Amino acid sequence: MGEDTDTRKINHSFLRDHSYVTEADIISTVEFNHTGELLATGDKGGRVVIFQREPESKNAPHSQGEYDVYSTFQSHEPEFDYLKSLEIEEKINKIKWLPQQNAAHSLLSTNDKTIKLWKITERDKRPEGYNLKDEEGKLKDLSTVTSLQVPVLKPMDLMVEVSPRRIFANGHTYHINSISVNSDCETYMSADDLRINLWHLAVTDRSFNIVDIKPANMEDLTEVITASEFHPHHCNLFVYSSSKGSLRLCDMRAAALCDKHSKLFEEPEDPSSRSFFSEIISSVSDVKFSHSGRYMLTRDYLTVKVWDLNMEARPIETYQVHDYLRSKLCSLYENDCIFDKFECAWNGSDSVIMTGAYNNFFRMFDRNSKRDVTLEASRESSKPRAVLKPRRVCIGGKRRRDDISVDSLDFAKKILHTAWHPAENIIAIAATNNLYIFQDKVNSDMH
Amino acid sequence: MEVQKEAQRIMTLSVWKMYHSRMQRGGLRLHRSLQLSLVMRSARELYLSAKVEALDLETPSTPTRCPPLSPEPMDTQEDEEEASPRAAETLARCSAHPARVGRKRRSSSLSNGVDAGLVPSKKARLEEKEEAEDASSEVPDRLLPPPAQAEGAFPNLARVLQRSFSGLLNRGPTAPPTAPPARDAKPVCRPADPVLSVLVRAVVAF
Repeated sequence: MGEDTDTRKINHSFLRDHSYVTEADIISTVEFNHTGELLATGDKGGRVVIFQREPESKNAPHSQGEYDVYSTFQSHEPEFDYLKSLEIEEKINKIKWLPQQNAAHSLLSTNDKTIKLWKITERDKRPEGYNLKDEEGKLKDLSTVTSLQVPVLKPMDLMVEVSPRRIFANGHTYHINSISVNSDCETYMSADDLRINLWHLAVTDRSFNIVDIKPANMEDLTEVITASEFHPHHCNLFVYSSSKGSLRLCDMRAAALCDKHSKLFEEPEDPSSRSFFSEIISSVSDVKFSHSGRYMLTRDYLTVKVWDLNMEARPIETYQVHDYLRSKLCSLYENDCIFDKFECAWNGSDSVIMTGAYNNFFRMFDRNSKRDVTLEASRESSKPRAVLKPRRVCIGGKRRRDDISVDSLDFAKKILHTAWHPAENIIAIAATNNLYIFQDKVNSDMH
Repeated sequence: MEVQKEAQRIMTLSVWKMYHSRMQRGGLRLHRSLQLSLVMRSARELYLSAKVEALDLETPSTPTRCPPLSPEPMDTQEDEEEASPRAAETLARCSAHPARVGRKRRSSSLSNGVDAGLVPSKKARLEEKEEAEDASSEVPDRLLPPPAQAEGAFPNLARVLQRSFSGLLNRGPTAPPTAPPARDAKPVCRPADPVLSVLVRAVVAF
């Protein structure tokens, strides 16, 4: 795996042109751990790469806590379901970190069918001075052993060991789209298109089904589950989003099977904006609770919306991500882009939200000042230490220099996965097979 | 006419996408199939409503006549359960929507030249087979775009889709085809749509 770490090294400097992208290298998920010290990425080839933030040292003030590769491992392999004659993709759909409870780090990674719990441990000492074995581990010739010694722990080069501790298999008939660890740190849930299961982290041979929206007759199917998440503080609450654009907040104390929601968050459709493809662009692709637990963030194809848990009738804020695409939905349907599932993220203080778009653009919205910015993640515009230049998509009318016209957007360059450090202004952006990490040392105004 | 062509193109595209998604790694994705069937349904509604408007414009209104109450002869492929509701529906439509009824009659005579031109030649073989089966097949039936390789590798998919489509198109939209259909202000879960359900059935079968 050694050579892979070099090609996956994060983009602090110009690299040679990687215009050819191996499909297996396409990053499919990005997640910071709870302290922000570690950043995990999963890709289509079933691999997980973990980056660690270097501690800031006074000796090298310029390396302001940059991220370097910490560990790489193969999490999932392609499988074959013989019963259905279907191949099961090894693509990592989601990674979620467990809160750290001892020296080891743990994370859950999932593909379409199987969730795995991985334990990541460090080894930086090794015993030396065995009596019966020599330095290479070969048995010593007993005649050369003249005295006994006590083996001593000596420091060694850091070795990161990753081992699969639990494999949660056979829980889902449909494709898993999300996992979420409960705040109780003992359970987690996994959601597929029609069902949500609750697992205990220590038990792999059974899970509880807590949501089942499969109709008795599949012909009556009208919506599927698209994302789900546990509340960050209340271990009994979770939310799941649907392909119709609604959110359902469920309370596990109410019943064992939470088919009946406690709250339904749905915005009435605006008849004036109804179009041929309105149904599919209203599908929620991601839902995230705010760190405070008071709000939820949802992403559908053209907008991000902030919902207040106390108000079900409509979102409290709606931000247009790329409304200029509204007139191009037909072409986007033809090239399948209309089905892209973008993610969204909160910053640590819940004041800024971020989501990706096309042409390697990503957008940030400041909830307080109502200002927004479009930035680009590309080699050309990302020299180390340089400030990112805001970009603009011109729709018509006055065109400024450096504006991109809608027709010249590259729809193959999409930013689906983004993550924000839990405390600081550090963001991780996955642009196809490249990972960009942007840091903001000074709290500058957004423009 | 443009709208009709566009809707037809989108329907063809959707069927192709659905067929193609079957062959993707990881198998049929339920969410994607659902979205494709939603688009197909919208395209169908759009096509039919555009057809109504086009025909209303082309031909002046003639005295309305009810179509023969017997089920259309092209039902050879229909599921039997659909035959009687459809006959009842045809009767209902006759009284309620004379324009549409007129359309049904007119289209069979009008269309053979006009719409056949819109249909790519690949489908000719299957259409001829249908024509042989029933004398007055409806235009929308001919519209049906089976995938090119249908006869070869996946005849079942094509046949199921054909059956579904011809059934749906004969039934016509259950609501008046004014686009967009009226939506309640109160958001409610959309009731199970027979159109969608047949399409989903085709999807889930695979």
